[in-house]
Amino acid sequence: MSERRFASLTLLPGAAWLVLLFLVPLGITLAISFGVTDELGNALYAWHPENYDRVFDPLFAPVLLRSVGYAAATVALCLLIGYPVAYYIARFGGRYKYLLVALVVLPFLVNYLIRVYAWTAILSDEGLVNGVLEDLGLTSDGVRFLNTPWAVIGGLTYGYLAFMILPIYAALDRMNPSLIEAGKDLYATGWQTFRHVTWPATFQGVLAGSVLVFLPAVGDFVSAQLLGGPDTYMVGNLIQQQFFDANNFPFGAALTTVLMAFLLIFMVFYLRSAGRAAAEARA
Amino acid sequence: MIDGGEAIRFESVSKRFGETEAVKGLDITIEQGEFFSLLGPSGCGKTTTLRMVAGFEQPSEGRIFLDGQPVETVPPYQRNVNTVFQSYALFENLDVFENVAFGLKRRKVARDEIRRRVTAALELVQLPARSDAKPRELSGGQKQRVALARALVNRPGVLLLDEPLGALDLKLRRQMQLELKAIQREVGITFVYVTHDQEEALSMSDRIAVMDAGEVKQCGQPEDIYERPRGEFVAGFIGISNLLEGRVEDSGEVAIGNGLRIPAPLPNDCARGDAVQISVRPEKIAVQEIEPGMVSLEGRIETRVYLGVSTQITVSLGDGARLVALEQATYRAQADDRWEVGQRIRIGWRPEHCLVLR
Repeated sequence: MSERRFASLTLLPGAAWLVLLFLVPLGITLAISFGVTDELGNALYAWHPENYDRVFDPLFAPVLLRSVGYAAATVALCLLIGYPVAYYIARFGGRYKYLLVALVVLPFLVNYLIRVYAWTAILSDEGLVNGVLEDLGLTSDGVRFLNTPWAVIGGLTYGYLAFMILPIYAALDRMNPSLIEAGKDLYATGWQTFRHVTWPATFQGVLAGSVLVFLPAVGDFVSAQLLGGPDTYMVGNLIQQQFFDANNFPFGAALTTVLMAFLLIFMVFYLRSAGRAAAEARA
Repeated sequence: MIDGGEAIRFESVSKRFGETEAVKGLDITIEQGEFFSLLGPSGCGKTTTLRMVAGFEQPSEGRIFLDGQPVETVPPYQRNVNTVFQSYALFENLDVFENVAFGLKRRKVARDEIRRRVTAALELVQLPARSDAKPRELSGGQKQRVALARALVNRPGVLLLDEPLGALDLKLRRQMQLELKAIQREVGITFVYVTHDQEEALSMSDRIAVMDAGEVKQCGQPEDIYERPRGEFVAGFIGISNLLEGRVEDSGEVAIGNGLRIPAPLPNDCARGDAVQISVRPEKIAVQEIEPGMVSLEGRIETRVYLGVSTQITVSLGDGARLVALEQATYRAQADDRWEVGQRIRIGWRPEHCLVLR
């Protein structure tokens, strides 16, 4: 057996895993999205494309737009918080570099659901933050945090921040530090050096981080479920509702399919850009 | 083109990184228009010195003056110096033209003038045809030229070059050395050139400072450094030094280990019994064809290395003392088949070519 043939065998377990546990369920989801439900709420395979008309019913437009808006705000916040963190670790981390990276990843050892649940205790009307604010005399009747868009976006940002930091850190770490000195040497101030040298040199990392945050944030339901309310529900909550409360599998599947198609556009855009950058780096 | 004005002055400049002292008590003045090289092995402090001039590092002690003005409070982007980096540090997202124009744009130079000056700079480095190429499409030599143009286009008072030819192959290196020197003559800008390559420093520089362990061991013209090295380090770092340990004798001779007495031009303040080293450059040693008036010794050929234009032979004088001689393959010598290992021969040199070091 040639080495190449043998090497392709190593793909087998992973391929089998993905086909069985990802592609097959995906096919079922796709099939059910065209189905109907009987009187008892059981999904039946059928040809009922009207499920998709319902997805674009103006009734659900706010939920879809809200999901995209919250995810975009999450990306922006993660970038705003994450870039400086990545910058500090990559440029000034010194011998603590890897420790700091480990600290960024550390929260991931705890399940996302549990971490967001902890936030309810922090943000609730009788929670930690309000307690501190009252003790300081800044407020007497409490500030409403839960059930606001800010709580949901905050939860999403907290949940996915590391996905932004790590690729930007990698890009900054790869970057030749002489480039920054070259910028300063050529009369660029600190800000101009960042704007014209560092940012372009690390843009692929920013792009990767943005996609890695945006994709799960759009489909997220945990943050809105625990930190939000009906006014802040996202498409993930809507899908969950269809499957678990409304017992409308076909409509839930149709929503899922549309969401995936939408995310696929970003994925393709990102992969093409990353592929181009890799090809350029090789040349 | 050296017009006497002072371009850079170091006044007892030291730089410490934690415990290590990278540069110790540096006192040098570099003239305007001079091609000045900082030469030394890696870790000798030459790059740190350069970075302090650029403003990337601050001296721990002492002061640096650029054009007569102290610069400790001047950030890099306001200093009238530009750097050619060892790694070139070209901006990958910009094409060649934009790379060269970078400094002029930050200084808000008018568009027409930017175009004119960038074009002129690319012509100076003989790269006018590649102005819209991206750095990754260029060869190493071309990148080097862009980096040079990007710095020179700003017409800095001083150009700092940090081992700029280090990544090029030998042939290209030689060619770029000649071009760099020609460009420096043409623009008349002070060049401060960091290198560990002694040949490069000798061939290009007006003056050289040889550095070791943070200190300048000798500063002078290439001929001075090569012909009259002060101390063992400089003699050893520049070329093959051929050091022999010995003691000063009354008779104006130096006795080396195996009892041989060698006449040498001893400095006046040498006393009998002083430990000294004598050094003779390999190319100054005559093999077999000893002329009258030469110091002459007998030895045995230990190794013989054929180098094309010359043959390098190591001659053992006994008792661990050995000298390297370079015999040029001139019309007189069939250098490739002249000597056998193990052969006994006579070597010699003119007394004035022998150097006494302490």
